[in-house]
Amino acid sequence: GGVLMSAKINATNSSGELIKNYHKQAFEYISKALRIDEDDSVAKGEAVQWYKKGIAELEKGIAIEITGTDDRSKRLQDKMVTNLTMAKDRLALLEATLASKSKNN
Amino acid sequence: STTTLTTPQNQVESLMHEMADEAGLDLNLELPQGQTGSVGTSVASAEQDELSQRLAKLRDQM
Repeated sequence: GGVLMSAKINATNSSGELIKNYHKQAFEYISKALRIDEDDSVAKGEAVQWYKKGIAELEKGIAIEITGTDDRSKRLQDKMVTNLTMAKDRLALLEATLASKSKNN
Repeated sequence: STTTLTTPQNQVESLMHEMADEAGLDLNLELPQGQTGSVGTSVASAEQDELSQRLAKLRDQM
């Protein structure tokens, strides 16, 4: 829920908590995208919007500046950067595949 | 029981506050704020690893 999320952000103001909250949203969205994308029996068009939402959350989490020494949060951000690149690549490929399919139909 | 009913309200309350204080202290000793935070971050890192693996698998299928 969006209300709960923002309440949590206000209550805990540290950069680590913020990054974790964006991670949670991104994880939820990209997991949804992957479930569609991994299933060959369903139309993959719907995965596109979930990838896009997940990518937006990853970008927000990566943009947060870490205050002080917080190696765990830094490592989490590094992993989010990796997944941002991979999710963007996957999305581009998926969109290209969908575009060529609709052209052929 | 009648014992409970005749116990003055303020005594019950002060005892409950005392117990809560003790419980709170014990909880803080066992799980400091920083500790729970870093556990959550480790879980988050593992979840990001999972996404990487699944994305890599899809990439390699093509």
